[in-house]
Amino acid sequence: MRLIFGVVSLLFISLVTFLADEIAPGDLATVRAGEKATLAQVERLREELGLNRPWPVRYVEYITKAVKLDFGTSAIGTQKPIKETLSKAIPMTAKIAFLSVLIAAFFGILLGTTAAVYENRFADRAVLSLSTLGVTIPNYVLLPIMVWIFALNLNYLPTSWAPDGQRVASDIFYLILPVIALSLRPMATLTRLTRASMVDTLRQEYVSLAVAKGVPPFRLLTKHAFRNAILPVLTVIGTSFGYLLTGSFVIERAYQIPGVGFEAIFAITQGDTPMILASTLVTGAMFILVNLLVDLVLPIIDPRIRESQV
Amino acid sequence: MSAVTMERRRARAGSRNLLFWTGVGFIALLVVFAIVGPNMRHAYDAQDFTPQLGPNAVNWFGTDHLGRDLFARIAYGARVSLIIGFLVQVIAVTFGMFIGIISVFAPKWISIPVQRLTDGMFAFPDLLLAIMLVGIFVGKGGGLVPMVIALAVGAWPATARLVKTQVATLKDREYVVAANAMGAKTLYIVMKHILPHLWGVILAVMMVDVAATILAESTLSFLGIGVRPPMPSWGGMIMLGDSYKESNINMLIWPCLFLSMTIFALNFVGDGLRAMTDPKGNQSR
Repeated sequence: MRLIFGVVSLLFISLVTFLADEIAPGDLATVRAGEKATLAQVERLREELGLNRPWPVRYVEYITKAVKLDFGTSAIGTQKPIKETLSKAIPMTAKIAFLSVLIAAFFGILLGTTAAVYENRFADRAVLSLSTLGVTIPNYVLLPIMVWIFALNLNYLPTSWAPDGQRVASDIFYLILPVIALSLRPMATLTRLTRASMVDTLRQEYVSLAVAKGVPPFRLLTKHAFRNAILPVLTVIGTSFGYLLTGSFVIERAYQIPGVGFEAIFAITQGDTPMILASTLVTGAMFILVNLLVDLVLPIIDPRIRESQV
Repeated sequence: MSAVTMERRRARAGSRNLLFWTGVGFIALLVVFAIVGPNMRHAYDAQDFTPQLGPNAVNWFGTDHLGRDLFARIAYGARVSLIIGFLVQVIAVTFGMFIGIISVFAPKWISIPVQRLTDGMFAFPDLLLAIMLVGIFVGKGGGLVPMVIALAVGAWPATARLVKTQVATLKDREYVVAANAMGAKTLYIVMKHILPHLWGVILAVMMVDVAATILAESTLSFLGIGVRPPMPSWGGMIMLGDSYKESNINMLIWPCLFLSMTIFALNFVGDGLRAMTDPKGNQSR
């Protein structure tokens, strides 16, 4: 059911972008024919590319090809197949987004739990204030300033991405700044959520009972409270992946990392519409896939969900 | 309730009030700054000065790589951010309210698809959609109109959902049921008995959403596909500042500072308004 819903919304998004392309002046033929082409030349090219057919026909054709991962060729330059560009870019983006989710989830849950345990005391206040900062400050403010401090002034880390042959430090150093800049905001969101959820859970009667039975505090947290408190947090990890994808556009652009975002922005500035449409589909699919994954994991943790699905 | 908790609650309400008025004050100053700032001391687009100066008596915030006055450019950026932020939200809120009311009052065969559509759009990361929509227009001329539309397309589902839940509860209130029983038309009920109760909540959420829109606008401008040079915008200035940070950190610091402060201020105002309009909403968030 969720899968169908995901596919439908992906189709809708692709339709919206496809139609926007229809409304916008100019098409693939005008781009490819170049500025000096005559109207007749453009018209002939349009015929060759099949652009003079009505848009619903072309949309259906586009989608059936895209399902087979055939996104056509780039509109500019060497007209490289888009599939080739994307197959290099996707692993890059996936790596950075995945590392960021991992770090955000680990520290978010850790800090949130700490804050909940020390509710309304200094540690809690400190974590809450910091997470407010984390939620509001955008990553394109964070990353340049972090680069300025840690790369330019302190000289600890590289200032931008470098291709494999030209590296002066080990790979991990190239990942530190972009991953931190990308993970801070979801980390802050998850911290606040874990705190709220944990505070609620710790007030439940079964927790009081466990305390009365003399369950040691650490075991109480890990065994009794954690599993219940973590459920809403997991759902949000899925949705915050959408933020991570958007964020990776910014981070990849600012740190010169050749991922999907970097390629998409490059395509946008070049007016390479087929590439823009393809990256919309791919990023959308990634987002929906991760959310499906979260939906599959939830019943494993919570038997109540498992039962309600049967 | 003990005296101590009362005391504490009052103290917290007091600090929230302080934040609210600080926010209101900052936004008011920013509006004045945005109106007079761009041409107050120097024209925002004049390349009259020595490039890359630090803050000094003539150029209060310093100058950029082309010798333009940063103070005037920041002020113009404030103008751009505020206008786009509020304009997009006014469009999104109007449309969102319309959709939200429809999904409660319209017959099922309209309201159910509309709700599904809203939920689907809401789940999809709006900035991603905005980037793609704007992106398609950028290569073909671009301009501010596609960006405003793209941002509004991303923003309306949130309002629509909020309005829908609010309207759904208001619809069952006794005075609405009574008006309905007396034969009042749906449109009359919506205008007279429903809408007046919505403004407070919507205004509060709108402030926070204006902040989100300003962030989205500067993200697009940072990526080079939103507001484009020569028109100054904070996002565009951060992008420039990023590439010149080695030689002149002023170009990066000022837009970052103003953007962050504006976001904070709008959030404080939104939180304050929510606390005022929703008597039950006094949980600390």
